[in-house]
Amino acid sequence: MKSLWCALLVFLVAGQGVDAGDKDPNDPNELLRAKSGAVVEDPNDPNELLLSKWDAVVKDPNDPNELVRAKWDAVVKVLQAKDLDKKVKERLIGKIVSPMFDFPLMAKLVLGRRHWPKLTPPQREKFTRLFTERLKTSYLEKTKLYTDEKASLKPAVRKKTVIYIPMQLLSKDKKIAILYKLRKVDKRWKIYDVEIQGVSILLTYRSQFDDILRRGTVTDLLSKLEKRPAR
Amino acid sequence: MRLQAWAIIVVLAVITAGCTASKKTAADQQHILAAPNPIAMPSESSEDDEFDLIDEDLEKQLEEQKVKISDPLKPVNRIMYHVNDKLYFWVLRPTARAYKAVAPKPVRTGIRNFFNNLTTPVRFISCHLQGKHKAAGRELHRFAYNTTVGVLGFGDPAKDKLGLEPADEDLGQTLGKWGLGNGVYLVLPLFGPSTVRDGLGLVGGQFLNPVRYVKPAETSYGISAGQITNENSFRIGEYEAFKDAAIDPYIAMRNAYIQYRNKKVQE
Repeated sequence: MKSLWCALLVFLVAGQGVDAGDKDPNDPNELLRAKSGAVVEDPNDPNELLLSKWDAVVKDPNDPNELVRAKWDAVVKVLQAKDLDKKVKERLIGKIVSPMFDFPLMAKLVLGRRHWPKLTPPQREKFTRLFTERLKTSYLEKTKLYTDEKASLKPAVRKKTVIYIPMQLLSKDKKIAILYKLRKVDKRWKIYDVEIQGVSILLTYRSQFDDILRRGTVTDLLSKLEKRPAR
Repeated sequence: MRLQAWAIIVVLAVITAGCTASKKTAADQQHILAAPNPIAMPSESSEDDEFDLIDEDLEKQLEEQKVKISDPLKPVNRIMYHVNDKLYFWVLRPTARAYKAVAPKPVRTGIRNFFNNLTTPVRFISCHLQGKHKAAGRELHRFAYNTTVGVLGFGDPAKDKLGLEPADEDLGQTLGKWGLGNGVYLVLPLFGPSTVRDGLGLVGGQFLNPVRYVKPAETSYGISAGQITNENSFRIGEYEAFKDAAIDPYIAMRNAYIQYRNKKVQE
């Protein structure tokens, strides 16, 4: 009996060790594996190669200001590049921006305490995937409108576990106030909500999903999300 | 005369809307009151371990920020929303595009400046009524400078040279500042999302709009149509992006409008 427990313990510890090794970002092997993995994923994908050229250089990922600033600059640079195809631009921007959003958290918060528990695990997964897609497209469309503007960051406001970073977009005929809301996840700052001119995207989606789920079912919501925008 | 008739019609519409809606309003408000109460559902909270403490914090915040607006006229509003939507895609956007193609940007910016200068009275008075006397003084300064140095307001040297930013104030915000709530949500033909309060502000704003005093009325409305087209030429793509992002554009518009206006009133 005792040896069985010992074996189990050893097994557990070993499992932990393997698990930890997998996630250690400083492990050169892991880094290599991830890098080569990324390339193997699609060796013919020119975006993979392009990304390294266009992606933001974030000197200190722990500094949320620096993160937001660098990513915005990178996105604007891609959008203003003349020698890139439109589709390539869109995919590039998606790849640059995605890591700084906490999509799973946004999906959870957008349904909220009231509706999230109603979803089964597969539904949650599907919802998160569809909602993430919608957010990415929406980000892209909105960003395209604002690329001529000069961006300036204002001092961040820290509130307990979250940080608010205001950004001002200025041009000759427009002035747009943007507020990024970030939360620390696994030692990285990630965006969980964005306000444009005082309008929170999370709140706007929440009102829509709430309305749909009050009158319909989760299946209705998912099929509505799945539909491409009608235009 | 025409203007007065118009004002009376709007006021009447608002009042009758309020009357027919009163029954539904109570129900709608109850609906709203019942909504943000996650604690009242013990069965769900106990089985749900997905929300950890930090999520709980954010969840609470979102519940607090939740937009409260009663919309008893929803069926009519929804129809009006679709009318405006079609109006945009079939009339306003093609017009603005055609106009944009022939009018170079400096011209359009000049026209925009001209109308902004012309509508100084609303902003000036709204600033004063909200006790923002400094901002009101800035508006007056802007008006004097832009009308003279800026050649009848076609240029905006007050901003470019003196760094005087225009105050984004209107009568709806003023009423809000005075403590008047949004009231019932309205979708106005052509004007789009509004509320009873902002509708009243809009009517008052028309009395302070010099364009409305141009005779004959046809000319006056023609000028306004030109102004709207000019303004739209700067905003092509905004509504499209908004609509693409939305799942239910009507609800999204209502929510975003109220968030936006609440923020404006706060400022």
